Amino acid sequence: MLEIRNLCAEVEGKPILRGIDLTIRDGEVHVLMGPNGSGKSTLCHVLVGNPKYAVTGGSATFNGKDLLALPPEHRSYEGLFMSFQTPTEIPGVSMTNFLRAAVNARRKYRGEEPLGASEFLQLLREKRKLVGLDAHFMSRGVNEGFSGGERKRNEIFQMAVLAPTFSILDETDSGLDVDALRTVAEGFNALRTPRTSAMVVTHYQRMLDYLRPDFVHVLMEGRIVRSGDASLGYAIEERGFDWIRDEAATAQPEPQP
Amino acid sequence: MTDPLKQYLDLYRAEHSRIAAGSCPAMNAHRDAALRQLEAHGLPTRRTEEYKYTAVRDALAPDYGLNIARLPLAADPHKLYHCSLPNIGARTCYIINDTVGPVPTAGSEDAIRVVPFAKADEEMRGFIGKYYHSTVQSYDALASLNTLLAQEGLLVLIPKGHRAVQPLQLVCFADAKADLMANRRLLVVAEEGAEATLLICEHASSSAHYLTTQVTELVLGERARVELCSVEETGSNCTRFHNIYADLAAGAALKLNSVTLTCGHSRQTTEVRLAAPEASVEANGAVTAAAEEHADHNILVRHDAGDCRSTLRYKYVLDGNATGAFAGKVYVAPGAQRSHSEQTNANLCVSPTAHAFSQPMLEIYADDVKCNHGSTVGKLDETALFYMRQRGIPEAEARLLLQHAFVNDVLRHIQPESLRQRLSLLVEKRFRGELRRCDGCRMYGGTATNAPTPPEP
Repeated sequence: MLEIRNLCAEVEGKPILRGIDLTIRDGEVHVLMGPNGSGKSTLCHVLVGNPKYAVTGGSATFNGKDLLALPPEHRSYEGLFMSFQTPTEIPGVSMTNFLRAAVNARRKYRGEEPLGASEFLQLLREKRKLVGLDAHFMSRGVNEGFSGGERKRNEIFQMAVLAPTFSILDETDSGLDVDALRTVAEGFNALRTPRTSAMVVTHYQRMLDYLRPDFVHVLMEGRIVRSGDASLGYAIEERGFDWIRDEAATAQPEPQP
Repeated sequence: MTDPLKQYLDLYRAEHSRIAAGSCPAMNAHRDAALRQLEAHGLPTRRTEEYKYTAVRDALAPDYGLNIARLPLAADPHKLYHCSLPNIGARTCYIINDTVGPVPTAGSEDAIRVVPFAKADEEMRGFIGKYYHSTVQSYDALASLNTLLAQEGLLVLIPKGHRAVQPLQLVCFADAKADLMANRRLLVVAEEGAEATLLICEHASSSAHYLTTQVTELVLGERARVELCSVEETGSNCTRFHNIYADLAAGAALKLNSVTLTCGHSRQTTEVRLAAPEASVEANGAVTAAAEEHADHNILVRHDAGDCRSTLRYKYVLDGNATGAFAGKVYVAPGAQRSHSEQTNANLCVSPTAHAFSQPMLEIYADDVKCNHGSTVGKLDETALFYMRQRGIPEAEARLLLQHAFVNDVLRHIQPESLRQRLSLLVEKRFRGELRRCDGCRMYGGTATNAPTPPEP
């Protein structure tokens, strides 16, 4: 589904990603872990085409298409979705209008007619239940006055409405209490199919418990320095990152001046 | 360059008897004073603080014709013209150029009187004279020019205690074969406890260049409540000066909504006097300007008595090379204690070549007051734009939604709800580029020439 080769990117002239290689196949869930500033969020944003990040090398192919050549909205139509670490507040644009625009733009891209009013509302009703988001949020501005937990629920709700084939969850679990985390994770799991994949950035074991990922990767200084199964995630929870950093340093010594 | 004012003063001196003949005594009584003021003070320059951003001299320089001979309307405007704006079941009156059209009779339950000045002067002796020009407190060249040259006016009288059931819509329309100046005058008197909603729609054909001056005077008696919504939908061939003056008695409440959908060169001067305790004014302004459009709001609210309240909210979305100017001043007179005032002006510059000038001001001579003012000028929120695009909303649509939301924040204060919805829709169409001037107007049928003729040298 997704093939990333030697991907390099920078933010405001500062290199962050220094050659990412990653392959994600249909149905797989990959977890990204790593210390703060290692490039996890940058990788997420680069994949969905945030114009603040500049790709300086490498490639990303999504279902055979050159992902990096597509504008953000087309990446969305192709099936990419990102749950933002800090979902943006858009005062005055109601959730309903926002989602109607998103849903219908997607349908137009696929050559389908816009969704009728009652079908659309039915869709919202159905998906709201999944994450326990109350109806009154639909008439509010996007994330306007939402609590941290409500914003994260709202991200998963939007994911449910847009039904992506590849989801990126950038620390969707952070700032959630245990109940909210369960709701969000169960919501995510309910949307999984053998044909959908995900890349999940997390710092917490609890998320690993819920998601049961196929792979765990550790990012450091813009590179994947170690990959493994879920047990790698549990090892990090127990031992921290230093042992991986030490091993990585031994395996790939820095060039001496 | 000769003073552009000269041609207007010369015209008046040459034609004053014909101007007076086509007008009513109450209007004629103020012309000489207006002439003397204009002679003494002249037109504002770019150095005049109140007109820093609107070039009055350039605006008045072209040679416009006037309908001094009072040629009657060629046809019944009710048959020619259909304004699609309100959908609020309003009673509609027309002012074509500066001529008041036939006034429809009101429903039996509606006691609002809508009478041309000349007729009002005959039927209610002394009434027009009592109120005409009574609210104009300070010198303004455009108000004086209007007083000097205006020949017809319309009185809207809401009698004591009357609560109007039906909104009154006044459609002001400019349409001529040659470049034209039209001077309009409106007097609204809401007697004690009276309530009414008024809607003024400003439109113009594209067949010539127009210069319009309009003075709207509002006199609100004790506990009167008036909501005046003024909607401008004109074009690059239009220069418009609208002066609104309002005097409020104790407990009176005025709501002034002003929506500029499209314009040419537009300036609105507003002066509200809260003359007695517990009077309140709420002014909501929304401007959407693009291309070379110019919209300038200058508003003064005087808290002359204590315990009054004023709220000013103005929002501009500026695209292309548009210019938006806002100057708001809240003046609190000595002793006007417990005055409460809030003033905000927010500007969204959508293009890098749009200009916003914002000047909120407070001048306070009392010590027990609660007054605040704020102003912002910004671009579209890039983070929000990206968030929307990630969800699949195309960039153009995302920009539109953000702009629309920005303006809706002002529109939501407009009543009635049906009018608010209609305005919101028109703003959306405006952003989509789907707004044809005078949408739905039959007068435009097949004459959509958007290339106005250049002004006469």
